[in-house]
Amino acid sequence: MPDHHPQSEQTAMIGIGEYRVGSFPMMTIGLGSCIGLTLYDPNLKMGAMVHIMLPESAGRMDRPGKYVDTAVPLLVKELVALGCKNRSIVAKIAGGACMFEYFGTNLNIGERNAGKVRILLQEHNIQLAAEDVGGKVGRSVTFLPANDGKVTIRRADGTSSSL
Amino acid sequence: MKLSAVQADAIQELGNIGAAHAATTLSQMLGSSIEMSVPAIRVVELSQLGQYMGEESAAMVAFELQGDIPHGGYILFYITRESAVRMTNTMLGQTETNRPLSEMDESALLEVGNIMVSAFLDATAELLGFVMLPSPPALTIDMAHAAMQSLIAQMQEETDEVLLFSTELACEEFKVDSDIIMMPERSTLLRIIELLENMMKPVS
Repeated sequence: MPDHHPQSEQTAMIGIGEYRVGSFPMMTIGLGSCIGLTLYDPNLKMGAMVHIMLPESAGRMDRPGKYVDTAVPLLVKELVALGCKNRSIVAKIAGGACMFEYFGTNLNIGERNAGKVRILLQEHNIQLAAEDVGGKVGRSVTFLPANDGKVTIRRADGTSSSL
Repeated sequence: MKLSAVQADAIQELGNIGAAHAATTLSQMLGSSIEMSVPAIRVVELSQLGQYMGEESAAMVAFELQGDIPHGGYILFYITRESAVRMTNTMLGQTETNRPLSEMDESALLEVGNIMVSAFLDATAELLGFVMLPSPPALTIDMAHAAMQSLIAQMQEETDEVLLFSTELACEEFKVDSDIIMMPERSTLLRIIELLENMMKPVS
């Protein structure tokens, strides 16, 4: 289970369905159709990151970080508990790609994940500041809450960009 | 999901037979000998997938398992980008290794994946008397974790752990290292185990 205590400056690796909250560096690798969502509060210089796999939990509660509809409310709740205000939280998303173009074009999970995140953020009055989603590329994401919530995205071809 | 030692052995043997047939086809295509590892079976917790599939750039040819079970999971031919270039160079009579992959390379990779996976599934079908057919192939050349994660996300049976069943096929002469990875749906796996267990029962 995720551990909410801010630790050393060591980068926390966030696997599929996992999330962390704090001011330490966080990283998630190899997002395909999954979404890396970061929430950042510039006033408190802390944030949260989650590696989401599917849009709907269909009632499953045991792994909230895995689904958009459980992950967003949970992260917001955790940040609010630490003193963050919804209106000051800034969200960024990456991922939501379609890696295999000949498969399941009728169930583009990446697109559905991204769409559902946008809806949930809106419902919680959270501003979506930037996104790098879609296409057919894998992405790794680094999140630095202590460094103005900087989000860096790296692709397989070695290029990287900031959000 | 926990497999007994007997079940794991049975599946390993199935993998041996499938991979041996795939290795023969690869050997013919490259005109060189192929070494095959003992098949490895791993039950991988989703959050730990990064320990098995990282950010490395790889070519992956994926197939859905079809046939007697319509959505049986996935099987894929995995090869690192460097190995993929050396393999297609061997097949296409080229030597430059520091180059981008062309459409010609992609066709060659699709073809190799198709032939190997078909050979693997033909052999296992014959043994099990249970038909698993590959869907048309889909190719991606990108981060291995991203590709694998996308396949897991579209599995039919929602799961928090996947069974990765992989066999390494390597060609020393051309420094080509590849894997065949099978990722069955849970129900498909149980069906395969049942068939294997029936085969091991003494004839009465």
